[in-house]
Amino acid sequence: MKMEEGSVSSLDNSKLEGMAQDILSELVEDACLGLCFEVHRAVKQGYFFLDDTDQESMRDFEIVDQPGLDVFGQVYNQWKNKECVCPNCSRSIAASRFAPHLEKCLGMGRNSSRIANRRIVTGNNTNNKSESDQEDNDDVNDNDWSYGAEKKGEHSQKSTVICLNNIFIQTFFHFYFVFVHLSSINK
Amino acid sequence: MNKESRLKATINQRLTELGERERLKELLRAKLTECGWKDQMKAHCKEVIREKGLEHVTVEDLVVEITPKGRALVPDSVKKELLQRIRAFLAQHAA
Repeated sequence: MKMEEGSVSSLDNSKLEGMAQDILSELVEDACLGLCFEVHRAVKQGYFFLDDTDQESMRDFEIVDQPGLDVFGQVYNQWKNKECVCPNCSRSIAASRFAPHLEKCLGMGRNSSRIANRRIVTGNNTNNKSESDQEDNDDVNDNDWSYGAEKKGEHSQKSTVICLNNIFIQTFFHFYFVFVHLSSINK
Repeated sequence: MNKESRLKATINQRLTELGERERLKELLRAKLTECGWKDQMKAHCKEVIREKGLEHVTVEDLVVEITPKGRALVPDSVKKELLQRIRAFLAQHAA
């Protein structure tokens, strides 16, 4: 970007110096404002006078370095095998199984949409619904709250269908491989 | 006058565009912390807060009390250094 050279040569150094001083004032003002905001926030959040704590009270907050405890002095593996109540279905789940359960229960996470798609396809086959578009299926997966309600009732019906399908598929492949094997022997 | 203010506006724009304004801000903040200005100002803030009461302090209160004193307390060495850099920038981009 070209500067207008004509305009600059008509300015003295004093004007440039004035400009520099202005810029400096702006920067200083900015720094002061920044400090004000910082302090104000510290005051409102309650940590402004924190470094004024006396030595005695400071000792209460020292880092704890004992085995079996975290730096705050709390026991940290106490809840390893406790049970948690799922906020969605109100079942009591073991802590280590809680995250996967929540994924399926809420209809989020990587696998739940795959399972959902599979179930919807088999649901369409058995219920003779009109061929819903692929997009509809995806939308149902996205609506966690609607999906969670539907899941439970159709669970047994759909899983039976899936099992049957699996058996058919397995049988088919079994015969196919036998056929291929036999034909290769005959050659 | 018009040319001058136009030039000033262009300079400001360049300062921001090239990132020089941010760098100058950071430099100033670092220098002010280094030389103890920030601690001084914080101590003054504490007085103001104790005066106004912890619950009722507003940003306006702080700005009104802090800014004039802050401007006055900037050490000359810091001012000098910043001015040097600004002049260098002007020399490069205004001529």
